[in-house]
Amino acid sequence: MQTMAFEALADPTRRRIVEALRLGERPVGELVDLAGVHQSGVSRHLRILLESGFVSMRPDGQRRLYALRPEPFRELDAWLAGYRRLWEARLDRFGDALERRQKHRAPSKQESPR
Amino acid sequence: MSQPSTAATAPQDKVIIERTYRARVEDLWELWTTKDGFESWWGPDGFRVDVHALDARVGGALEYDMIADAPAMIAAMQQMNQPLSHATRGHFGALRPHTHLTLVHVIDFIPGVEPYDSTIEVDFHTAGDHARMVVTLHPHRDPHFTRMSIEGFTSQLTKLERRFGAAT
Repeated sequence: MQTMAFEALADPTRRRIVEALRLGERPVGELVDLAGVHQSGVSRHLRILLESGFVSMRPDGQRRLYALRPEPFRELDAWLAGYRRLWEARLDRFGDALERRQKHRAPSKQESPR
Repeated sequence: MSQPSTAATAPQDKVIIERTYRARVEDLWELWTTKDGFESWWGPDGFRVDVHALDARVGGALEYDMIADAPAMIAAMQQMNQPLSHATRGHFGALRPHTHLTLVHVIDFIPGVEPYDSTIEVDFHTAGDHARMVVTLHPHRDPHFTRMSIEGFTSQLTKLERRFGAAT
């Protein structure tokens, strides 16, 4: 899911649409103004955001209203947290290795690291 | 000895992990750029690495085997029908001694995934008698870690919590 999500958000125009939708549900016309998107391209970007689950759409008379869906953002956040933990653990090992090297060096100098 | 701090920017951007150590920048640098230094810490919990080539120059090769060596990890890899060792290769993309380096890994061992480069940027700073290290990752270019996290490598959290719990 993450690769598709990142691809969906990789496009700067789509990120501007997402930013605009943070203010709340919007019709296409307002998104064109708020996100500075060309009318001709907005449908394609909204379709990609719909397909990747980032936005939902509901008809309101003649209008179509778009809104953000929280689920994929939560998933991304959870995935990033896992990724970060991998690296936190790796850097724990780095710290341990550094400490071992310093201890190994210390007996001859009897000094603490700078 | 380290003071962890972590910041993540927007999902489409990058993850930055920062640590401060009571050490010299030169000591940190050695852990990235020498064979014995790299072998002393690289790899996920439960693995060790055997370095075959580490040429700390711009474009210099980095080649090593990553080997499951903890009994629990060996059992887990066998259960997943994964090899206990796999050859990994990459190179140093940028190198400014004691200041900045970039490690580029070639991820070409994931079935069904086109080979891609995974880049890690590391910046080193001296702050009084401490050295600060900033690691910048680009997870959106790295589907490998999606797979790794799914397969349970996040158990490393336990180790992290234990360490932080004991640190204070």
